[in-house]
Amino acid sequence: MNPVVSDETLHALVDGELDVTESETLIARMRGDTELAQRVCALRSLQSMVRLAYAEPPLAGGRESRSAPSRQWMQRCAFGCLILCAGLSGGWMLRSLESPVVAAAPAAGMAGYQVVSLAREADPNRVMLHLDSAAPARMQAVLDQAERLLDEAEQQGRAMQLEVIANSRGIDLLRADLSPYAERMARMKQRHANLQWVACNQTIARFTSEGQTVELLPATHIAPTAIGEIVTRLQQGWTYVRV
Amino acid sequence: MTMIRRILFGPLRPGIEAQRPMLYRLAYAWCHDAALADDLVQETLSRAWARRAQLRDEAALKGWMVSIMNHCWLDHLRGRREFDDVEDWQDVLESTVESPEACCNREQVIACVRAAVARLPLGQRQVLTLVDLEGFGYAEVAGILDIPVGTVMSRLSRARAGMKKLLDIAAQQPAAVPQLRRVK
Repeated sequence: MNPVVSDETLHALVDGELDVTESETLIARMRGDTELAQRVCALRSLQSMVRLAYAEPPLAGGRESRSAPSRQWMQRCAFGCLILCAGLSGGWMLRSLESPVVAAAPAAGMAGYQVVSLAREADPNRVMLHLDSAAPARMQAVLDQAERLLDEAEQQGRAMQLEVIANSRGIDLLRADLSPYAERMARMKQRHANLQWVACNQTIARFTSEGQTVELLPATHIAPTAIGEIVTRLQQGWTYVRV
Repeated sequence: MTMIRRILFGPLRPGIEAQRPMLYRLAYAWCHDAALADDLVQETLSRAWARRAQLRDEAALKGWMVSIMNHCWLDHLRGRREFDDVEDWQDVLESTVESPEACCNREQVIACVRAAVARLPLGQRQVLTLVDLEGFGYAEVAGILDIPVGTVMSRLSRARAGMKKLLDIAAQQPAAVPQLRRVK
């Protein structure tokens, strides 16, 4: 007897409205039932997106809001000037040196891509690269970018974590039978322990329901949904780069 | 002595004032208008202060204040004659909202989700925000909005289904036709 679990029951589970036995039964069932687990994950990520959306509601142009942003603006201005000064004088002092010191600016290494971070300054040590297309140029760009970032970090002695998250057609990069770069990726993974390939389970489920067998490269991590993974990582302070 | 104080005066002003950020977040999620949300919160705070003697159990302060704000909000809607019926109507959720997967920066994700919440029927929007933003239990929500628990659950269910529909459209599209997203 394994009737389909209703949406209401899953909502109650996610909202902590079920009693202990009921939720334990459901959680045990989720382990064997990927579809059920996916539904729960989708609910959770929806919930966290709603929370994110209203974490900082815009203030009405009243009392508090008027003074605060201008002070912040001043601070930023001052900060910007400071960085500019530091950059100029640093550049002047380093003009004769061979190797440029650009460790602090991850954006410099990601020129041309949209970089997103919830932190004030993008964290160069925790980066996710998102691929959603099977275009060969995009695939190669992801790998080049990943390799460059990891190498840079290695040279500068930084411990860097990097995730390549693939969904939609981008998942081809991670499929054992379709990936044009399987060998290169295996080498990269061997060289860099902190590199992680992440595939979107929703995409896999979709391909599977279309009758394809999706076999992933070894050591590929599967996230319930790509968007959920991205939102979670962003909240944890990661930097997001869409390739 | 504390009993007497409680019955006579209810929660102290700082206690009431401390609910302001929570109320504002909810009010904004209901109406998506910063100025209106500010007015609602202001009105709620003053009504709560005036009726503070009615609150017997200070642990219920948060729920009590949200329920006051719900009344303020309904009054506002009645005043503006936009008030159709708080009962949910099943409106067509055709999507002009971009899926968050298509949006790739924080502001856009936030805008997407807010747009989707704003499109939910009022009753569903209130239940969804009370549960997801403030973590109220179903029974508490039922008390705040003065509706049966069953209605809370069905509205929540429809609200989440609606959100999923609005947000997942691009993600659910077959991968074989990604170009269709661009053609419009």
